[in-house]
Amino acid sequence: MKRFTWITVLAAASFQLGGCTGAPQMLNFPFDPGGRSLNSPADELSPNIAGRYVVFVSDRFGRQDVYLFDGVNRKLVDLPGLNALDAAAEDPAISQNGRYIVFAGTRGGVKDIYLYDRTTSQLRNLTENLNAIVRRPTISADGNTIAFESSANGQWDILVINRNGQPLEVPTTPR
Amino acid sequence: MAAFFPPYVHRCALITGGAKNDRYGEFTIMGHSPKFQPLPPVSPSPRLLWWVVLALALGGCMPAVVPGGQRSLNSRYTDEQPALSADGRFLALISNRNGRREIFTYDLQQKQLVDLSGLNRFGTMPESPSLSYTARYIVYLTTSQARPALVMYDRILGQGQILYQPYEGSIRHPRVSPDGRYIVFETSMRGQWDVAVIDRGPNIELDVPDGLPLEEPITP
Repeated sequence: MKRFTWITVLAAASFQLGGCTGAPQMLNFPFDPGGRSLNSPADELSPNIAGRYVVFVSDRFGRQDVYLFDGVNRKLVDLPGLNALDAAAEDPAISQNGRYIVFAGTRGGVKDIYLYDRTTSQLRNLTENLNAIVRRPTISADGNTIAFESSANGQWDILVINRNGQPLEVPTTPR
Repeated sequence: MAAFFPPYVHRCALITGGAKNDRYGEFTIMGHSPKFQPLPPVSPSPRLLWWVVLALALGGCMPAVVPGGQRSLNSRYTDEQPALSADGRFLALISNRNGRREIFTYDLQQKQLVDLSGLNRFGTMPESPSLSYTARYIVYLTTSQARPALVMYDRILGQGQILYQPYEGSIRHPRVSPDGRYIVFETSMRGQWDVAVIDRGPNIELDVPDGLPLEEPITP
Protein backbone atom coordinates (compact mmCIF):
# COMPACT_ATOMS: atom_id res chain seq x y z
CA MET A 1 0.00 0.00 0.00
CA LYS A 2 2.82 2.34 0.91
CA ARG A 3 4.65 1.63 -2.36
CA PHE A 4 1.50 2.32 -4.34
CA THR A 5 1.16 5.73 -2.67
CA TRP A 6 4.73 6.61 -3.57
CA ILE A 7 4.21 5.66 -7.20
CA THR A 8 1.10 7.84 -7.34
CA VAL A 9 2.94 10.79 -5.82
CA LEU A 10 5.85 10.40 -8.22
CA ALA A 11 3.56 10.18 -11.23
CA ALA A 12 1.66 13.27 -10.13
CA ALA A 13 4.90 15.16 -9.62
CA SER A 14 6.22 14.24 -13.04
CA PHE A 15 2.98 15.37 -14.66
CA GLN A 16 3.16 18.61 -12.76
CA LEU A 17 6.78 19.21 -13.73
CA GLY A 18 6.25 18.96 -17.44
CA GLY A 19 4.45 15.86 -18.49
CA CYS A 20 1.88 17.74 -20.50
CA THR A 21 4.10 20.43 -22.07
CA GLY A 22 5.99 19.03 -25.00
CA ALA A 23 9.45 20.56 -24.86
CA PRO A 24 9.70 21.73 -28.47
CA GLN A 25 6.19 22.90 -29.23
CA MET A 26 4.64 24.88 -32.04
CA LEU A 27 3.21 28.17 -30.86
CA ASN A 28 -0.32 29.02 -31.91
CA PHE A 29 -0.61 32.60 -33.00
CA PRO A 30 -4.12 33.67 -33.99
CA PHE A 31 -4.96 33.48 -37.67
CA ASP A 32 -6.80 36.61 -38.75
CA PRO A 33 -8.56 36.82 -42.13
CA GLY A 34 -8.60 40.61 -41.78
CA GLY A 35 -4.80 40.79 -41.78
CA ARG A 36 -4.31 42.15 -38.27
CA SER A 37 -2.31 39.23 -36.92
CA LEU A 38 0.75 37.19 -37.77
CA ASN A 39 -0.87 35.01 -40.39
CA SER A 40 -3.50 35.96 -42.93
CA PRO A 41 -4.98 34.42 -46.08
CA ALA A 42 -2.14 36.05 -48.03
CA ASP A 43 1.51 35.02 -48.19
CA GLU A 44 3.81 35.55 -45.24
CA LEU A 45 7.45 35.35 -46.27
CA SER A 46 10.96 35.38 -44.77
CA PRO A 47 10.19 35.78 -41.07
CA ASN A 48 12.89 36.92 -38.70
CA ILE A 49 12.76 36.89 -34.91
CA ALA A 50 14.69 38.95 -32.35
CA GLY A 51 13.45 39.13 -28.80
CA ARG A 52 9.69 39.69 -28.81
CA TYR A 53 9.49 40.87 -32.40
CA VAL A 54 8.79 38.88 -35.53
CA VAL A 55 9.32 40.84 -38.72
CA PHE A 56 8.15 39.44 -42.04
CA VAL A 57 6.94 40.33 -45.51
CA SER A 58 3.32 39.88 -46.54
CA ASP A 59 1.20 40.79 -49.53
CA ARG A 60 -2.03 40.84 -47.53
CA PHE A 61 -3.11 44.26 -48.74
CA GLY A 62 -2.12 43.83 -52.36
CA ARG A 63 1.47 45.00 -51.97
CA GLN A 64 4.57 43.22 -50.74
CA ASP A 65 5.20 45.12 -47.52
CA VAL A 66 7.09 44.69 -44.26
CA TYR A 67 5.07 43.88 -41.14
CA LEU A 68 6.15 43.73 -37.53
CA PHE A 69 4.45 41.44 -35.02
CA ASP A 70 4.86 41.85 -31.28
CA GLY A 71 4.84 38.35 -29.81
CA VAL A 72 4.19 39.48 -26.24
CA ASN A 73 1.26 41.80 -26.98
CA ARG A 74 0.20 39.56 -29.88
CA LYS A 75 -0.56 42.30 -32.35
CA LEU A 76 0.97 44.09 -35.29
CA VAL A 77 3.10 47.16 -34.70
CA ASP A 78 2.67 50.20 -36.91
CA LEU A 79 5.65 51.11 -39.09
CA PRO A 80 5.00 54.63 -40.39
CA GLY A 81 7.06 55.61 -43.39
CA LEU A 82 8.54 52.19 -44.07
CA ASN A 83 6.30 50.80 -46.79
CA ALA A 84 5.88 52.84 -49.93
CA LEU A 85 3.42 52.46 -52.77
CA ASP A 86 6.18 52.26 -55.38
CA ALA A 87 8.49 49.85 -53.56
CA ALA A 88 8.41 46.12 -52.96
CA ALA A 89 10.12 44.86 -49.82
CA GLU A 90 11.96 41.60 -49.28
CA ASP A 91 13.96 39.83 -46.58
CA PRO A 92 13.46 42.02 -43.52
CA ALA A 93 15.52 41.66 -40.35
CA ILE A 94 15.22 43.42 -37.01
CA SER A 95 17.46 44.26 -34.07
CA GLN A 96 16.59 42.86 -30.66
CA ASN A 97 15.36 46.14 -29.16
CA GLY A 98 13.04 46.48 -32.13
CA ARG A 99 14.52 49.79 -33.21
CA TYR A 100 16.26 48.99 -36.50
CA ILE A 101 14.72 47.12 -39.41
CA VAL A 102 16.81 46.36 -42.46
CA PHE A 103 15.30 45.08 -45.70
CA ALA A 104 15.84 44.91 -49.44
CA GLY A 105 13.55 47.27 -51.29
CA THR A 106 13.01 47.47 -55.03
CA ARG A 107 12.15 50.91 -56.28
CA GLY A 108 12.24 52.01 -59.90
CA GLY A 109 13.86 48.75 -61.00
CA VAL A 110 16.77 49.11 -58.59
CA LYS A 111 17.12 46.98 -55.51
CA ASP A 112 18.82 48.54 -52.49
CA ILE A 113 19.33 47.80 -48.81
CA TYR A 114 17.28 50.11 -46.63
CA LEU A 115 17.59 50.75 -42.91
CA TYR A 116 14.52 51.88 -41.01
CA ASP A 117 14.77 53.51 -37.58
CA ARG A 118 11.58 53.03 -35.59
CA THR A 119 12.27 55.80 -33.10
CA THR A 120 12.68 58.46 -35.78
CA SER A 121 10.57 56.74 -38.50
CA GLN A 122 13.39 57.51 -40.92
CA LEU A 123 14.28 55.35 -43.89
CA ARG A 124 17.83 55.34 -45.21
CA ASN A 125 19.29 53.78 -48.34
CA LEU A 126 22.56 52.09 -47.36
CA THR A 127 23.68 51.01 -50.84
CA GLU A 128 23.00 54.11 -52.88
CA ASN A 129 26.60 54.31 -54.15
CA LEU A 130 27.14 50.59 -54.64
CA ASN A 131 26.87 49.73 -58.30
CA ALA A 132 25.71 46.13 -57.90
CA ILE A 133 22.67 44.03 -57.28
CA VAL A 134 22.22 43.47 -53.57
CA ARG A 135 19.95 41.07 -51.73
CA ARG A 136 19.29 39.23 -48.46
CA PRO A 137 20.29 41.79 -45.86
CA THR A 138 20.61 40.82 -42.21
CA ILE A 139 21.28 42.83 -39.07
CA SER A 140 22.89 41.68 -35.85
CA ALA A 141 20.56 41.74 -32.84
CA ASP A 142 22.54 44.57 -31.24
CA GLY A 143 21.79 46.60 -34.33
CA ASN A 144 25.39 47.56 -35.13
CA THR A 145 26.34 45.27 -38.02
CA ILE A 146 24.61 44.66 -41.34
CA ALA A 147 25.56 41.99 -43.88
CA PHE A 148 24.16 41.40 -47.35
CA GLU A 149 24.95 39.74 -50.66
CA SER A 150 26.37 41.73 -53.51
CA SER A 151 27.09 40.89 -57.12
CA ALA A 152 29.83 43.49 -57.53
CA ASN A 153 32.50 40.89 -58.36
CA GLY A 154 30.43 39.03 -60.92
CA GLN A 155 29.32 36.41 -58.41
CA TRP A 156 27.59 36.46 -55.07
CA ASP A 157 29.79 37.74 -52.30
CA ILE A 158 29.04 39.00 -48.82
CA LEU A 159 29.65 42.55 -47.68
CA VAL A 160 29.61 43.64 -44.05
CA ILE A 161 28.90 47.24 -43.09
CA ASN A 162 28.06 49.08 -39.92
CA ARG A 163 24.86 51.00 -39.33
CA ASN A 164 26.25 54.15 -40.91
CA GLY A 165 27.00 52.36 -44.15
CA GLN A 166 30.79 52.15 -43.67
CA PRO A 167 32.41 48.80 -44.53
CA LEU A 168 33.88 46.87 -41.61
CA GLU A 169 37.60 46.12 -41.33
CA VAL A 170 37.23 42.63 -42.75
CA PRO A 171 38.97 41.22 -45.82
CA THR A 172 36.14 40.63 -48.28
CA THR A 173 38.08 40.35 -51.53
CA PRO A 174 37.35 36.97 -53.13
CA ARG A 175 40.35 34.72 -52.80
CA MET B 1 83.03 43.94 23.15
CA ALA B 2 82.81 40.19 22.68
CA ALA B 3 81.01 39.77 25.95
CA PHE B 4 78.06 41.80 24.65
CA PHE B 5 77.32 39.84 21.49
CA PRO B 6 76.05 36.32 21.00
CA PRO B 7 78.55 33.95 19.39
CA TYR B 8 76.99 33.86 15.87
CA VAL B 9 77.55 37.57 15.42
CA HIS B 10 81.16 36.94 16.21
CA ARG B 11 81.33 34.28 13.52
CA CYS B 12 79.70 36.55 11.01
CA ALA B 13 82.19 39.22 11.72
CA LEU B 14 84.98 36.73 11.35
CA ILE B 15 83.75 35.37 8.03
CA THR B 16 83.01 38.66 6.36
CA GLY B 17 86.20 40.02 7.66
CA GLY B 18 85.08 43.01 9.66
CA ALA B 19 82.19 45.22 10.69
CA LYS B 20 82.58 47.76 7.90
CA ASN B 21 81.26 45.53 5.14
CA ASP B 22 78.43 47.55 3.58
CA ARG B 23 78.06 45.65 0.32
CA TYR B 24 74.61 44.47 1.51
CA GLY B 25 74.10 47.27 3.94
CA GLU B 26 70.49 46.59 4.79
CA PHE B 27 71.28 43.09 6.06
CA THR B 28 73.72 44.06 8.76
CA ILE B 29 72.90 43.03 12.28
CA MET B 30 74.05 45.72 14.66
CA GLY B 31 76.74 46.82 12.27
CA HIS B 32 77.80 43.30 11.19
CA SER B 33 76.83 41.41 8.06
CA PRO B 34 74.97 38.11 8.74
CA LYS B 35 76.42 34.79 7.72
CA PHE B 36 73.86 33.98 4.98
CA GLN B 37 74.03 36.63 2.32
CA PRO B 38 71.20 36.78 -0.25
CA LEU B 39 72.27 35.34 -3.58
CA PRO B 40 72.54 37.71 -6.52
CA PRO B 41 69.65 37.23 -9.01
CA VAL B 42 70.27 34.43 -11.52
CA SER B 43 68.76 34.56 -15.03
CA PRO B 44 67.09 31.30 -16.19
CA SER B 45 68.92 29.18 -18.67
CA PRO B 46 68.22 30.45 -22.21
CA ARG B 47 67.79 26.90 -23.50
CA LEU B 48 65.00 26.20 -21.01
CA LEU B 49 63.35 29.49 -21.98
CA TRP B 50 63.31 28.49 -25.63
CA TRP B 51 61.69 25.15 -24.82
CA VAL B 52 58.93 26.95 -22.92
CA VAL B 53 58.34 29.37 -25.79
CA LEU B 54 58.22 26.49 -28.27
CA ALA B 55 55.71 24.54 -26.15
CA LEU B 56 53.44 27.57 -25.83
CA ALA B 57 53.59 28.27 -29.53
CA LEU B 58 52.80 24.67 -30.44
CA GLY B 59 49.81 24.07 -28.23
CA GLY B 60 49.22 26.69 -25.63
CA CYS B 61 46.61 29.10 -26.90
CA MET B 62 45.79 27.77 -30.32
CA PRO B 63 42.33 28.94 -31.49
CA ALA B 64 39.98 26.54 -33.24
CA VAL B 65 40.49 27.27 -36.92
CA VAL B 66 39.97 25.31 -40.04
CA PRO B 67 43.41 24.00 -41.06
CA GLY B 68 44.62 25.92 -44.04
CA GLY B 69 41.59 28.15 -43.77
CA GLN B 70 41.71 31.40 -45.59
CA ARG B 71 41.54 34.83 -44.09
CA SER B 72 39.07 36.39 -46.49
CA LEU B 73 35.35 36.24 -45.95
CA ASN B 74 34.63 35.66 -49.62
CA SER B 75 35.91 33.10 -52.07
CA ARG B 76 35.90 32.88 -55.84
CA TYR B 77 32.78 30.74 -55.58
CA THR B 78 29.27 31.59 -54.48
CA ASP B 79 29.09 32.96 -50.95
CA GLU B 80 25.55 33.73 -49.94
CA GLN B 81 22.81 33.78 -47.31
CA PRO B 82 24.65 35.73 -44.62
CA ALA B 83 23.41 35.61 -41.02
CA LEU B 84 24.95 37.56 -38.15
CA SER B 85 25.16 36.57 -34.51
CA ALA B 86 23.54 38.99 -32.09
CA ASP B 87 26.80 40.55 -30.95
CA GLY B 88 27.87 41.03 -34.56
CA ARG B 89 30.98 38.90 -34.12
CA PHE B 90 30.13 35.80 -36.15
CA LEU B 91 28.75 35.57 -39.64
CA ALA B 92 27.30 32.34 -40.99
CA LEU B 93 27.19 31.84 -44.72
CA ILE B 94 26.64 29.23 -47.38
CA SER B 95 29.62 28.78 -49.64
CA ASN B 96 30.64 26.55 -52.53
CA ARG B 97 34.36 26.99 -51.93
CA ASN B 98 35.11 23.34 -51.19
CA GLY B 99 33.30 22.00 -54.20
CA ARG B 100 30.03 21.47 -52.39
CA ARG B 101 27.54 23.60 -50.55
CA GLU B 102 28.53 24.00 -46.93
CA ILE B 103 27.88 26.22 -43.95
CA PHE B 104 30.82 28.31 -42.81
CA THR B 105 31.03 30.61 -39.83
CA TYR B 106 33.42 33.51 -40.06
CA ASP B 107 34.73 35.32 -37.01
CA LEU B 108 34.65 39.02 -37.89
CA GLN B 109 36.95 39.90 -34.97
CA GLN B 110 39.63 37.26 -35.46
CA LYS B 111 39.10 37.46 -39.23
CA GLN B 112 39.15 33.72 -39.79
CA LEU B 113 36.81 30.79 -40.19
CA VAL B 114 35.52 28.92 -37.14
CA ASP B 115 35.77 25.16 -36.86
CA LEU B 116 32.37 23.50 -37.25
CA SER B 117 33.26 19.85 -36.96
CA GLY B 118 30.38 17.49 -37.48
CA LEU B 119 28.16 20.02 -39.18
CA ASN B 120 28.81 19.59 -42.86
CA ARG B 121 28.27 15.91 -43.46
CA PHE B 122 28.70 14.44 -46.88
CA GLY B 123 25.51 14.17 -48.89
CA THR B 124 23.53 16.89 -47.19
CA MET B 125 22.93 20.33 -48.63
CA PRO B 126 22.36 22.94 -45.94
CA GLU B 127 20.43 26.11 -46.56
CA SER B 128 19.43 29.28 -44.71
CA PRO B 129 21.73 29.24 -41.68
CA SER B 130 21.09 31.53 -38.74
CA LEU B 131 22.95 32.10 -35.49
CA SER B 132 22.10 32.64 -31.85
CA TYR B 133 23.73 35.27 -29.62
CA THR B 134 27.31 33.99 -29.44
CA ALA B 135 26.86 31.59 -32.37
CA ARG B 136 26.43 28.63 -30.05
CA TYR B 137 23.32 27.44 -31.90
CA ILE B 138 23.29 27.26 -35.69
CA VAL B 139 19.85 26.56 -37.12
CA TYR B 140 19.59 25.61 -40.77
CA LEU B 141 17.45 23.75 -43.24
CA THR B 142 18.47 20.53 -44.93
CA THR B 143 16.83 17.54 -46.53
CA SER B 144 16.69 14.19 -44.80
CA GLN B 145 14.99 11.19 -46.39
CA ALA B 146 13.46 13.40 -49.08
CA ARG B 147 11.77 15.64 -46.52
CA PRO B 148 12.89 19.09 -45.43
CA ALA B 149 14.33 19.08 -41.94
CA LEU B 150 15.02 21.86 -39.48
CA VAL B 151 18.35 21.15 -37.81
CA MET B 152 19.89 22.81 -34.79
CA TYR B 153 23.64 22.44 -34.40
CA ASP B 154 25.15 23.05 -30.98
CA ARG B 155 28.68 24.36 -31.33
CA ILE B 156 29.59 23.40 -27.75
CA LEU B 157 28.37 19.82 -28.11
CA GLY B 158 29.66 19.69 -31.67
CA GLN B 159 26.59 17.92 -32.98
CA GLY B 160 23.26 18.69 -34.56
CA GLN B 161 19.78 17.31 -34.14
CA ILE B 162 16.62 17.52 -36.18
CA LEU B 163 14.18 19.85 -34.46
CA TYR B 164 11.27 19.60 -36.84
CA GLN B 165 10.53 17.58 -39.93
CA PRO B 166 6.99 17.78 -41.26
CA TYR B 167 5.34 14.74 -42.78
CA GLU B 168 3.36 16.88 -45.18
CA GLY B 169 4.03 20.22 -46.72
CA SER B 170 7.28 22.08 -46.85
CA ILE B 171 9.22 24.49 -44.70
CA ARG B 172 11.55 27.28 -45.67
CA HIS B 173 13.78 30.02 -44.34
CA PRO B 174 14.28 29.22 -40.61
CA ARG B 175 15.62 31.88 -38.26
CA VAL B 176 16.60 31.34 -34.64
CA SER B 177 15.99 34.00 -32.01
CA PRO B 178 19.13 35.46 -30.39
CA ASP B 179 18.66 33.50 -27.15
CA GLY B 180 18.16 30.27 -29.09
CA ARG B 181 14.71 29.50 -27.69
CA TYR B 182 12.46 30.30 -30.65
CA ILE B 183 12.71 29.42 -34.32
CA VAL B 184 10.52 31.08 -36.93
CA PHE B 185 10.12 29.66 -40.41
CA GLU B 186 7.76 29.54 -43.34
CA THR B 187 5.40 26.62 -43.52
CA SER B 188 3.10 25.56 -46.33
CA MET B 189 0.69 23.76 -44.07
CA ARG B 190 -2.27 25.98 -44.97
CA GLY B 191 -1.61 25.74 -48.71
CA GLN B 192 0.37 28.97 -48.84
CA TRP B 193 3.38 30.35 -47.08
CA ASP B 194 2.63 31.18 -43.46
CA VAL B 195 4.81 31.98 -40.48
CA ALA B 196 5.24 29.34 -37.79
CA VAL B 197 7.09 29.61 -34.49
CA ILE B 198 8.67 26.75 -32.57
CA ASP B 199 9.34 27.15 -28.86
CA ARG B 200 12.13 24.94 -27.56
CA GLY B 201 10.78 25.29 -24.06
CA PRO B 202 11.94 26.94 -20.86
CA ASN B 203 14.41 24.21 -19.92
CA ILE B 204 17.00 24.72 -22.63
CA GLU B 205 20.33 26.43 -22.14
CA LEU B 206 19.77 29.91 -23.47
CA ASP B 207 22.60 31.48 -25.40
CA VAL B 208 22.64 34.72 -23.44
CA PRO B 209 25.82 36.42 -22.24
CA ASP B 210 26.21 37.03 -18.52
CA GLY B 211 24.66 40.21 -17.24
CA LEU B 212 22.16 40.61 -20.04
CA PRO B 213 18.58 40.86 -18.79
CA LEU B 214 16.34 38.07 -19.99
CA GLU B 215 13.72 38.85 -22.58
CA GLU B 216 10.07 38.36 -21.84
CA PRO B 217 9.10 35.03 -23.46
CA ILE B 218 6.49 35.18 -26.18
CA THR B 219 5.02 31.87 -25.05
CA PRO B 220 1.61 32.53 -23.48
